Amino acid sequence: MEAQKVDMFIMSNGKYFESHHVNAIRNSLIAADDSKWPMLSVTQFNDPSTILIVSIFAGQLGIDRFMIGDTGLGVGKLLTCGGLGIWALIDWFMIQSATREKNMEKIQQILG
Amino acid sequence: MALTSNKLYVLIATACSVGYGWLFFNISESFTDFSNFRVCLIKEVTRIPCPSCGTTRGVISLTKGHFLDAIYTNPFSVLVAAIMIIAPIWIVLDVVKKKTTLFHFYQRAEKIIIKPKIAIPLIVLVLLNWIWNIAKGL
Repeated sequence: MEAQKVDMFIMSNGKYFESHHVNAIRNSLIAADDSKWPMLSVTQFNDPSTILIVSIFAGQLGIDRFMIGDTGLGVGKLLTCGGLGIWALIDWFMIQSATREKNMEKIQQILG
Repeated sequence: MALTSNKLYVLIATACSVGYGWLFFNISESFTDFSNFRVCLIKEVTRIPCPSCGTTRGVISLTKGHFLDAIYTNPFSVLVAAIMIIAPIWIVLDVVKKKTTLFHFYQRAEKIIIKPKIAIPLIVLVLLNWIWNIAKGL
């Protein structure tokens, strides 16, 4: 893909990924075929800040985990009352990076 | 940090051991001083029970053989008790046989459960259970 297009993508979507992944994403986007672009440009990534807010208010019900696609862990959190409240508390600090990791998995699936 | 089979097994094993510890803490009479110790944030903040409130009480009823009491307290308790019994055995079997059947089952279940045809009825059931919990005043 063209470097300009890729940089535009990175500028508008960089916040959805871990900072140490951004460079690797940029390189693989430049190496990727142009046919991936339409798919990539319409993909919705989860915003870590939104998920953090959901986690703070509804983390005990596992809704944050459901939203990022960790259905199994979401069910686990729901059934155990947020892991006796402890898991829900830990997730306030973990969920943002978990969201970014999930976004990374998503982009890898598109490019893979 | 994708969920690998090892991570999942460690997570489930930890969850089960904490669960058994919590159950022992609640059953054992040596901790009666802490009988008011509650962990549910939602109930502490809003005074409204959450969908899984009453699960501990339900599992305790199950250990005493009162199946109907458990269902009445919270149907989730039967599910949680089943997971707490089956999961450790499954993990041990997988570790001994060096297989990852539980991990594959988990991944398949995740894919099935997310389909709207199955997810929507399940969400409705959880909500109904929640309403029932509030009505019962757990």
